[in-house]
Amino acid sequence: MISKGDLTVNNTISQRDAFLTKVYELMAKDKDVIVMTADMGAPALDKIRKDFPGQFVNIGIAEQNAIAVASGLVLEGKKVFVYAIAAFITLRCLELIRVENAIMDIPLTIVGVGVGFGYESAGPTHFLLEDLAVMRSMPNITIHSITDSIMASKIAEISYDFGHTNYVRIDRHTPPDIYNDNHDFTQGFSVLREGDGIYIISTGIMTHQALKIAEKLNKNGINIGVIDLYTLPINVEPFVETVKLANKLVSLEEHFLPGGLGSSVLEVLNDNCVSIPVKRLGLSIKDGYCYRYGGREDVRNHYKLDEGNIEEEIKSFIG
Amino acid sequence: MGQLIAQLEKKAHHLRVEMFEMCVRAKTGHVTSSLSCMDILIALYHGGLLLHNPEDPDWGGRDRLILSKGQGSPALYTVLADVGFFDKKDLDSFAQKEGKFGVHLQKDVPGVEITSGSLGQGFGVAAGIALAAKMNRELFLTYVIVGDGELYEGSMWETAMFASHNNLNNLVTIVDRNYLCVTDFTEDLIKLEPLKEKWISFGWDVKKIDGHSYEEIFSSLNSIRSRRSCKPLVIIADTAKGEGIESLSDLPLWHGQAPVKEDEIRECRNDLERRFNSE
Repeated sequence: MISKGDLTVNNTISQRDAFLTKVYELMAKDKDVIVMTADMGAPALDKIRKDFPGQFVNIGIAEQNAIAVASGLVLEGKKVFVYAIAAFITLRCLELIRVENAIMDIPLTIVGVGVGFGYESAGPTHFLLEDLAVMRSMPNITIHSITDSIMASKIAEISYDFGHTNYVRIDRHTPPDIYNDNHDFTQGFSVLREGDGIYIISTGIMTHQALKIAEKLNKNGINIGVIDLYTLPINVEPFVETVKLANKLVSLEEHFLPGGLGSSVLEVLNDNCVSIPVKRLGLSIKDGYCYRYGGREDVRNHYKLDEGNIEEEIKSFIG
Repeated sequence: MGQLIAQLEKKAHHLRVEMFEMCVRAKTGHVTSSLSCMDILIALYHGGLLLHNPEDPDWGGRDRLILSKGQGSPALYTVLADVGFFDKKDLDSFAQKEGKFGVHLQKDVPGVEITSGSLGQGFGVAAGIALAAKMNRELFLTYVIVGDGELYEGSMWETAMFASHNNLNNLVTIVDRNYLCVTDFTEDLIKLEPLKEKWISFGWDVKKIDGHSYEEIFSSLNSIRSRRSCKPLVIIADTAKGEGIESLSDLPLWHGQAPVKEDEIRECRNDLERRFNSE
């Protein structure tokens, strides 16, 4: 059941450009593929704008209208990718997503860039620390939390005829690729590293942190595994099968703790009578929002989610 | 034309009664909001303005009718049943346990394009449909009926800007201008006027009509398929919230409900008859 990630490091392009490059290919094959953007700029987007002007819609800084108009296009047979800043295309127009895409089940690909602290110096308005909780609470919406550019490209491909709404959360930063080109993402999670009964379950950019920390701990004789969980809702059966024999689990997310990745894991374990101690590492809402401009690791440090703090938390949890 | 209009006015009376009795049975439904847009719907479906096919509700060549003010669903359901999209018997269980549809508009009812009820959304969806028609070089029109209270939603103006910028001249918006929201008249609540000028400044062609006059509805829409303008068209239809039932008409706080007291119901029935007999 376990699909093991191949830890090859490639010369990486951004998740955004990998995603949009694949969408470009889809547009070339099918004139019904439409890209809608809320006034976003990107090299791959410029190419789309130039080569497929009839399949490109710049809706302006109007996320509510983006969701409504895109849904109307889908009703008439278009396959629409809405691309915008993640915080705004999820939370600003949440109720439209609820009506058009959850209630009416109009399938849309919503591509949000800049999750977590991705817009590192832009302050809390541009951070997105609630989207997992919010978007997974509605029927007919699947979340794909992107880890690297290989995954971004593959998820763009499956978005083409996904059948329901697919929310793709893309990081602004470009960590090295960790998957190989042939990796199958259909399971919704991948065991990137085996451990001796202890796993970090992480998502998005934090999977790169998890791998680094696991490597470090391994050098100190602690063999800890890493599971990259990139699809929500969790693919329950194989997930439970994979983790049920673990002794301890750590969840790791750049997201507020209520309702996030760790909550998801706990729900699945609890509902399946799997009793394993889980340490949730993420952002405590007690720490509020913050205005810090020293880079992503510095913002993480405010929430004790920097590499050093995570390592200490894990060590003390596993004893 | 005169004969058709006389027929439609008679039809309007019967459908107002049907809609009213449906809501009375269910003890719910936005009676007054439905009455304000009833004549417009009747003109569209029974007056030959809207291309539709009850035998094949999803026929690709149909004009799309989006009722963005989803609370007007009792009016649309009554008209759709009358045109033959579904059995009139289905109206009997409106908003009841065994019912197929309820107070707000529901997508899976034959003839209905979208679920609506949350205001400010159907308009944008309609613009998306109109844009797709342009992309696909299809000739159908997209009609969207919005409430005037709905115009307080900011998303409406996002769509208004978008539609004119993209020359969506295949999008016909009808504002059901009944001047009333839930608690108050629009001009006392937050002024919507000068409404015509607002739309003009957003790049739309604007017509202002009496939304209960079939002559005016027809004259505003008769040449709609040969319109030369590249702008989208908005028709501001002055209406009465509760048209046909004097005792409910134009009164704040009658929004979102059906009369339940026997004497109120009797008075409404009398109003409906009196209105019909005076025509």
